[in-house]
Amino acid sequence: MMMTRLRLMFLPVLLCAVVLALLPASVTVAQSPPPRNIDVSKLAHSEQDVVIPVPSEIFNALDKLGNNLNWASEVAPVSKKRAKKPEEFAMLLGTVIANGFVAVEAKDATRVQDIGHRVIELAGALNVQKAVLTHCNAIIDASKNGDWAGVRAELDRTQSSVRQVLEGQKSHDESELVSITGWLRGTQALSSLVNKDYKPDRAELLHQPDMLNTFDSQFKGMKESVQNNPEVRDLREGLQKIKPLIILGPDGQISAKSVEQINQITSSLVKTIDP
Amino acid sequence: MVAILGLCAFVAPARATVDDCLSFALEAMDKYIKNGYTLREDTWGGDLPVGEAKAISHQLFKGNNYWFCMGTDSKAAKISIHVYDSDGTLVEENTSWQSEKADGSFAGAEVKCKRTGTYFLIVKIEASKEERTGWGLVYSYK
Repeated sequence: MMMTRLRLMFLPVLLCAVVLALLPASVTVAQSPPPRNIDVSKLAHSEQDVVIPVPSEIFNALDKLGNNLNWASEVAPVSKKRAKKPEEFAMLLGTVIANGFVAVEAKDATRVQDIGHRVIELAGALNVQKAVLTHCNAIIDASKNGDWAGVRAELDRTQSSVRQVLEGQKSHDESELVSITGWLRGTQALSSLVNKDYKPDRAELLHQPDMLNTFDSQFKGMKESVQNNPEVRDLREGLQKIKPLIILGPDGQISAKSVEQINQITSSLVKTIDP
Repeated sequence: MVAILGLCAFVAPARATVDDCLSFALEAMDKYIKNGYTLREDTWGGDLPVGEAKAISHQLFKGNNYWFCMGTDSKAAKISIHVYDSDGTLVEENTSWQSEKADGSFAGAEVKCKRTGTYFLIVKIEASKEERTGWGLVYSYK
């Protein structure tokens, strides 16, 4: 009788121990309900936090909005331009990496491999070759195997590694130019495809006003010598011209005419950087 | 993972702590990567006092699905991540979650983007024993 009573006393403890043992290491629950609306005008945030999307993020959305996109027509040949100054190498590198994302969409393995080699070459001029070598070799291998998701991931890592090492070398301006020109080349390809077969929901992907505000503040923070470089100056002025074109009109759309103009401006800027 | 820990969108006071927090965020993101999401290399991180929210403006594209995962290495901390559009309307799916384990905490929010534009990611330390709690945030898209 005593033993039975003792067993009954310890039963809840035993049950608790069993339940605890069966519980997973972490417990996932729904977040506490957030407010449905907030006053965004009261939010304090800095442009420093803005992340510039890689072209594949935008291309992924474009692919979902329609098929029959002729990506092959958007892949640019790999130029052999010889840049002179670090900022020019950085701008060139940004466009070449972005061209890699376009070549992935076109599933053009040969071009992807050429781009991989060109990235290694340009990275050498910026003293960031060591950081990109592994990624570029992975890009070349993955393209040979048709692993396009792998190539996309390595291109993103390449850009990230280049920027990380440049930041470490106190080459902040060059780091930002890699991202800006990557965005430029991606926007050129996007606007070209939308221009060839205009649809308002495709054009909406160009609606990125905060990006241009971010670029503007980045240019303002660059060294005077970099700001005065004619290629950088052209880039800055060109991006300023795009600003009013990517705003949604009263009908909530970006017009076909605006898309055409965006494509003209971005094509001209890319041609200057990477002829 | 080593590469992704390198490029943080803003510099935090204690680099090692932010890297640890990003490791937690990446751990939380793992299941979505296995489900076909593409991880972006750019990340955010920093530290915050309890109750203070930080807003990060971020561009999202119509048609893409996104997961944002936040992590902290602070024991017994509770963190949250929520996503609002430029008008201040909550846009995340009702799949957002929060999780705690012995050595850290996580939170996640999913967005099925229906309009291209600027969004606000609101990160917050809901509870913590520390004066300032480190956090890291990563995102992926599909």
